[in-house]
Amino acid sequence: MVLTSHLVALGLYALATVLVLAPFTGLRPAPRGLLVGVLIAGIAAHALGVARLTPFMGVAPTLSLLALFLALLQLASEVAFRASAVGVFTGPLATGLIGLALLIGLAPDAGPVVGRSPWSILHITVSILGLAMLALAFIAAALYLLQFRELKAKRFGQVFRLFPPLERLDQLNHLSLVVGFPTVTLGVLLGFGVRYAGGVSVDAAQVVWGMLMWLVLGWAVGVRVVRHWAGRRAAFASIASFAAVLLVYLALKLTTPGTQRFL
Amino acid sequence: MSITVLGVNHRTAPLEVRERFAHTAGEVPQSLERVLAAGARGGVLLSTCNRTEFYLAEPDDAVPEAVWALLSERLGVGPSASQYGYIQRDRDAVRHLYRVSAGLDSMILGEPQIQGQVREAWDVSKAVAGPVLHRLFQSALLVGARVRSETGLATGTASAPSAAVAVAAKIFTQLAGRSALILGAGDIAELAATCLVSEGVRVTLVANRTYERAKAIAEELGARALTLDEAWDHFGDCDIVLCSTAAPHAVVTWDRVAATVRRRGGRPLCILDLAVPRDVEPAVAQLENVFLYDLDDLQAVAAHAAAERRNDIPAAERIVTEEVERFWGWYGGLAVVPVLREFRDRMEAVRAAELERTLRRLPHLSPEDRGQIEYFSQALLNKFLHQPTVALKEAARAGRGYGLLDALKRLFGLERRDGT
Repeated sequence: MVLTSHLVALGLYALATVLVLAPFTGLRPAPRGLLVGVLIAGIAAHALGVARLTPFMGVAPTLSLLALFLALLQLASEVAFRASAVGVFTGPLATGLIGLALLIGLAPDAGPVVGRSPWSILHITVSILGLAMLALAFIAAALYLLQFRELKAKRFGQVFRLFPPLERLDQLNHLSLVVGFPTVTLGVLLGFGVRYAGGVSVDAAQVVWGMLMWLVLGWAVGVRVVRHWAGRRAAFASIASFAAVLLVYLALKLTTPGTQRFL
Repeated sequence: MSITVLGVNHRTAPLEVRERFAHTAGEVPQSLERVLAAGARGGVLLSTCNRTEFYLAEPDDAVPEAVWALLSERLGVGPSASQYGYIQRDRDAVRHLYRVSAGLDSMILGEPQIQGQVREAWDVSKAVAGPVLHRLFQSALLVGARVRSETGLATGTASAPSAAVAVAAKIFTQLAGRSALILGAGDIAELAATCLVSEGVRVTLVANRTYERAKAIAEELGARALTLDEAWDHFGDCDIVLCSTAAPHAVVTWDRVAATVRRRGGRPLCILDLAVPRDVEPAVAQLENVFLYDLDDLQAVAAHAAAERRNDIPAAERIVTEEVERFWGWYGGLAVVPVLREFRDRMEAVRAAELERTLRRLPHLSPEDRGQIEYFSQALLNKFLHQPTVALKEAARAGRGYGLLDALKRLFGLERRDGT
């Protein structure tokens, strides 16, 4: 069941990605309803599989969960912001993450697991959702900068035609940050709770770097909300903070490999 | 029966000639009345800035001359209107209107305004259009809608004013509610302003070198009038600036607007410079969040869209051909019914006359025998008429009834009686 639903989701996400990318090759855009339908079908199949992956032991189930949230955010961007171009990033990313999860192996551990209380599962779910939202903020910022460059350079090609308006991308970036950051914060707080109440051992470097990253993300949100940055500056801030999170994650992963972290 | 179109368009006549032929809605009935008086059973006059065309149902031979005479009067002394004109008949006339309605015959390929103009022409001429043209124009509007929905012929923006809207729409989430400042009083800026207003943009300020001219335009648009010197401070408030002054040099300079624009923060400002020579110093585009486009840029957007639209021409032409055949099938059927009735009546009259003459020569026959002979003549006539009737109806259904109808009329002398 887990494997089948993931394979179905993989196929549908790949199809959705093709539908999003096809107009960039000069083909006529597919009807919006078709893209939305394929995404909904993929998400439904994927959600069935992910539900059976709790308590998210190992990297593969978490990658699958991240892919699910990315697909959900792509759907939300399409429906609420008419921003199909978000799929240029989220489509291949979600498809690749599912593919990677399938390659690593998705079978959940059969036995009881230490530290995988319902709170722990909630911590993982909320953290991954926050991460996906920050990824969406990053994607919106990247799309903004691309469209900005095309408009300034007076190039009226596929990016000009197929990307959403600048202001809409800015709004998407803003919304993703202001919702994503509290979500990540909640994930961090739940993590602390799990750590101290559940007595789960967490590496000190992970805690320190995690807090630093939380501050970096907080800065990116702060300059938007408090200092009212918008447009290009806000997009750069968003990209810089997300890049910092990714770099620190990779550094931690390489220097202190462990099995307790969900990613 | 026939359908004919006579007229001129942007391919056959220069602008100064087309301008003279253009009819206002109020002039249409009078011109149509004159043309119909020359001998036609229905007419519609389609008159836009790019074409003036008379669509006529069953016109007599004198009608083309009447049309050219009417148009020539508008030219005054000089060449006849016929030298700019064209005539298309029957299927070609139907195809022509369908192509016009679909935007295939427009100066800007696929432009959407033509469909409204076709509808308006039909509305204005409805009283004298007659059933055939009524059906023709109704179907032409459907063909236009079909081409637009099934092909990409209407996608993108193919004129500079509509390109201005498209560019602004790529900067702002929605144009409705945005404020615009108009600098100058050029025609193209007014046209672009109309396009923006139709998208919900509010023209709040109009500035011009002469205050009185600014005031006149501002009153039309419900805006406030300013002098040019008062306008620079407002670059901080508005979202879109439309420039079209007649100044011989740039009036919007870095020195005049940089400080004001910087106060905008992250809010984008779209400047559309439609003046020739340009009104805006190119350096202004270097300001953060300022997006400056001149007429060349907008024409590049339009050309890009037009190039993409050309790919959809074959699909649009296929739809037109399909619909022409459908209309022609209906029209052919319409023509067959009265001719067949006339044909049968004529044959029946011949049969009755011959029967009467024969029976007069055979007075000795009993009533039963006379009945048998009458029955025989009726059966013989039905047998003779059956195959031609079936063949004509089938040909009409397939849109090929005209050749047969014509032959029938000539062979049996029907044209003399129905007057066609």
